[in-house]
Amino acid sequence: MFTKRRIIQFIAIAVLFLAAMGWIYHQLSVSFREYADERNFNEISLFARTYDEGFSQDELSAWTGSVRNMIPGARSAYLAYSEETFDFEPAAGSEAVITMFQDSRELPEFISALDSCYYLEPMKLEADYSVDYSLDPDDAASSSEASQIYFLPTADESGAYVLGAIIITVPGVAATGYESLMRTLFIGASAIFLIIAFILLFTRDPMTGFLVLALFVIVGLFVAFPIFEAIRLSFIKEGHFSFAIWKSCLSPTYLVALWGSLKLGVLTASFSTVIGFLFAFLIERTSFRQKKLMTTLATMPVISPPFSLSLSIILLFGNNGLISKQILHLNASIYGLGGLVLVETIGMFPIAFMTLSGVLKQIDSTVEDAALDLSATRWQAFRTVTLPLALPGVLSAWLLVFTNSLADFANPLLLSGDYRVLSTEAYMLVTGRNDLGSGSALSFLLLLPTLTAFLVQRFWVSRKSYVTVTGKPSTTLTDLTNKPVRLALASVCWAIMAFILVLYVTILAGCFVRNWGIDYSFTLDNWGEALARGWTSIRDTVTLAAIATPIAGVLAMVAAMLIVRKKFPGKRLLEILIMTPYAIPGTLIGISYILAFNKPPILLVGTGAIIVINYVIRELPVGVENGIAALHQIDPAIEEAASDLGADVNTVFRTIVMPLVRPAFITSMSYTFVRSMTAVSAIIFLISARWNHLTVLIFNFSENLRFGLASVLSTVLIAIVLVVFFLMNLIVRDGKLTEKTISSR
Amino acid sequence: MEKKSVSVTLEHVTKRFRNVKGKADVIAVNDSHFTIEPGELITLLGPSGCGKTTTLRMIAGFELPTEGRILIGDNDVTMLPPNKRDTATMFQSYGLFPHMTVFDNVAYGLKLRKVAKEEIAERVNGMLSLLGLADLGDRAPSKLSGGQQQRVALARSLIVAPSVLLLDEPLSNLDALLREQMRVEIKKIQRQLGITAVYVTHDRTEAMSLSDRVIVMKNGFIRQIGTPSEIYEAPNSRFVAGFVGKAAFFNVDVKGNDNGHYQCALGPKVVDVKHAAAGVNVDDKAVIMARPESLRLRDKGEGNIDGRVKLNVYLGAAVESFIDTPFGEVLVEIDDPQTKRIYPEGSEVSIDFAPDRVRLLASNEE
Repeated sequence: MFTKRRIIQFIAIAVLFLAAMGWIYHQLSVSFREYADERNFNEISLFARTYDEGFSQDELSAWTGSVRNMIPGARSAYLAYSEETFDFEPAAGSEAVITMFQDSRELPEFISALDSCYYLEPMKLEADYSVDYSLDPDDAASSSEASQIYFLPTADESGAYVLGAIIITVPGVAATGYESLMRTLFIGASAIFLIIAFILLFTRDPMTGFLVLALFVIVGLFVAFPIFEAIRLSFIKEGHFSFAIWKSCLSPTYLVALWGSLKLGVLTASFSTVIGFLFAFLIERTSFRQKKLMTTLATMPVISPPFSLSLSIILLFGNNGLISKQILHLNASIYGLGGLVLVETIGMFPIAFMTLSGVLKQIDSTVEDAALDLSATRWQAFRTVTLPLALPGVLSAWLLVFTNSLADFANPLLLSGDYRVLSTEAYMLVTGRNDLGSGSALSFLLLLPTLTAFLVQRFWVSRKSYVTVTGKPSTTLTDLTNKPVRLALASVCWAIMAFILVLYVTILAGCFVRNWGIDYSFTLDNWGEALARGWTSIRDTVTLAAIATPIAGVLAMVAAMLIVRKKFPGKRLLEILIMTPYAIPGTLIGISYILAFNKPPILLVGTGAIIVINYVIRELPVGVENGIAALHQIDPAIEEAASDLGADVNTVFRTIVMPLVRPAFITSMSYTFVRSMTAVSAIIFLISARWNHLTVLIFNFSENLRFGLASVLSTVLIAIVLVVFFLMNLIVRDGKLTEKTISSR
Repeated sequence: MEKKSVSVTLEHVTKRFRNVKGKADVIAVNDSHFTIEPGELITLLGPSGCGKTTTLRMIAGFELPTEGRILIGDNDVTMLPPNKRDTATMFQSYGLFPHMTVFDNVAYGLKLRKVAKEEIAERVNGMLSLLGLADLGDRAPSKLSGGQQQRVALARSLIVAPSVLLLDEPLSNLDALLREQMRVEIKKIQRQLGITAVYVTHDRTEAMSLSDRVIVMKNGFIRQIGTPSEIYEAPNSRFVAGFVGKAAFFNVDVKGNDNGHYQCALGPKVVDVKHAAAGVNVDDKAVIMARPESLRLRDKGEGNIDGRVKLNVYLGAAVESFIDTPFGEVLVEIDDPQTKRIYPEGSEVSIDFAPDRVRLLASNEE
């Protein structure tokens, strides 16, 4: 593969290409610099003409200072010509310029510049001189910078005699912004070109190479780069490297919020795990009848929009809630830790439920039979066999809910009251004080426990699992519960279910009530107003989610195929980068996107594209995981057979892989769509006047106590999500030949 | 379908699998160097992990050799991906496309080659009836029996008229009877079409009955290349002898060489052996390899090695006698037992052999 001829070819191509690029870059930067010099000179001449002989000392100072309005970072000083000494002496202006002038006025270039001023000729010094701007700092320049120096004479009314001279210094940074942008673009383009040339010359399967390259560019640009920017900017204050932001973030105020997040996470995770275990045990390990119905109902909260549960809790238990005020006349507030734990537990116990039911389903009933056979009671069998076997799963479920709770943003936003958690603090800093650096630093603070929990779950707990697929499914199930216990379990679960249903009914009821809490008369007005004001948001949200869904779906399957089936350098890194957005809180992603994409070379803030990209990147991990799981089920020989018969990577993907992973593909697409429709935490930073998001609108209505409107939009959102799920399920079922026939070795 | 048969050449091919976690690399194939003649069916035979499947996958293009070149005909295909090579592989697990019907499975390669629809139908139906699958065209592969699936896989490989047919243990998932039928079937079709074929198996009967030549491999090394009778009757090592058939081994000291007859000290006796493999030297240790059917039983003291009958196994066409000797347990096969004397279990016997029916092998190997 690395034959001498090809290496020489590659080097030749690289040298020629880089030489050409270098030449173009040089030409462009020279002509740009000439243009910038000329423009500066013109502007400076214009500025000099605004000098008025009659300026008082104060006016003169103000005038010299005003130069930086024309050229950012520029300073000026006025030198008055003295008829007595036949020399120029500083009269007013920037300390920095005057100091520099005094230090270097004996230099030949300065003497000749002053001479030419005497003859009323403006002059720009050939060389750049260092000016210490710390004497006179501003936003654009505050340290020693190499600067261009201009000398401009001012003449009396007749235009024949010199009155004085203006020195203007322009720091280099002002001119280099464009150049550094251009350099970045050239280096990026060269790198991509060289990698493409490399792939074409040195690999026998260029398609794979290009796909890998494309994926790397995508995750590099939209995962690694924003996070890098967020880290970088959290260390920069007023243009300098500093720990100031981190110091303020580690102050007691924010540590309280961190503690709040952790406390909320621990409580939510514990309650959710217990409830999830009850449900999972009832459904998977007992002869409970309505298993299907219960499973469907229990997974509802996962797909419902983020604000809806909080909203209905407020409607029922809020300050003017139906139950708390109208029925019980309580004065207790639902806002705060209690309410948050309640809402998050309802919203997140399905995660624990799904994890645990997967684990409990896998435990072979024969091990319980063996325990019973050795004369254990049913309770002993449960305590000494079933529970220990399920324990890694329990821990895993706990950690999953914990990370979800830490990253949760929507519920605290509505319900936290005086209770403080990090995710909303970061949001307040960004939207309230426009302090992006601190916002990202706070999000990183949140990342620490989240990432720890994620990694523990991923690499430690999942390895400790005792559950193995034996390939010999047990046909009988030993019911460890007797009738009373089962009835008790079932009633607890039904009670919880009933409460959840009440919450949803409340939202529905909220749509038809004139003014919740005050006037409960029936009305349809909410619908008219909500749809009128929310129509564009509904349209935008559906459009953007519909664009993102197929992109994320295809990208996920391509990535999964490359990861499972192909060998290439950097595979592990690619996997990590793809999975990263899954582990980090949405607020951090949102903030890092604003930080990274609000400036060239990639200016995306305010467009719909940034929202679509954000959807795709955030939902990619789950899609890829699904794809990997599906591909592991497929015998590699099937794909090899196709490529052996003449199909290239593309064709194999299109005609073999795609049809075979279709169920996984469609499932992950519907998941992406629903998650995009109901996204909040990252999206709330990225919406703009042109592109609004339904969830954000729901939040705004709830915050302004327009609960009727919020209820209508929540209902609409839930309806859209349910319809999409239903349709996707219809498509998945439509498999003709593939019913469980995918063989694996 | 008319195509010229081509040869396949491996030039010093080595395949190393890089081990990720800092362990030593695994050498799957070590300096393989051989040529498969046009139209020949060659078998790669060896225990699992010997590199035979890796060799096959390198010829197909699924693996890249670390060193060396692979040529099909005169073309260097080392760097070509599988889809650019004129090879067709039959996989151990068949690799049928589960989402397509039998017809679509077989037609897949032709569709990729942009053959006209009518011609595809004609050729696929022709191929299906050739393999006795005529009525099964619209079935799903999962609805077929193992033997039928196997034939669909064969049809799918053959329909694109490849120059080289690669078979990766294609019969290992079939029951014994079906396996014998398919073996004959594959050989017939291969002969009929004149395709160069490489067949990978760990089953010596399969290798013997199918191949023009057999390549015996172990731990990535080629141990012997030869016709089935060569590797059975004249193995060059103890491993090959043991792997391709039943054999007894006796350690001896080579005392002298007299016109190609070796005098060997076998315990207290000196025996005469006519054939020897390379590496056998006078005044050195060596091993006598004897096939069960080349050994004879005589009364005690009359043969070369004394022993006692431990167990007789009646097989119909033959009786296998297991004899306890000072050299360990030795198997003697007595053909046509009706006409021969069978020593009862427990009786003292002596094992005898003719000088030209055994073979002397170098002993410096397991």
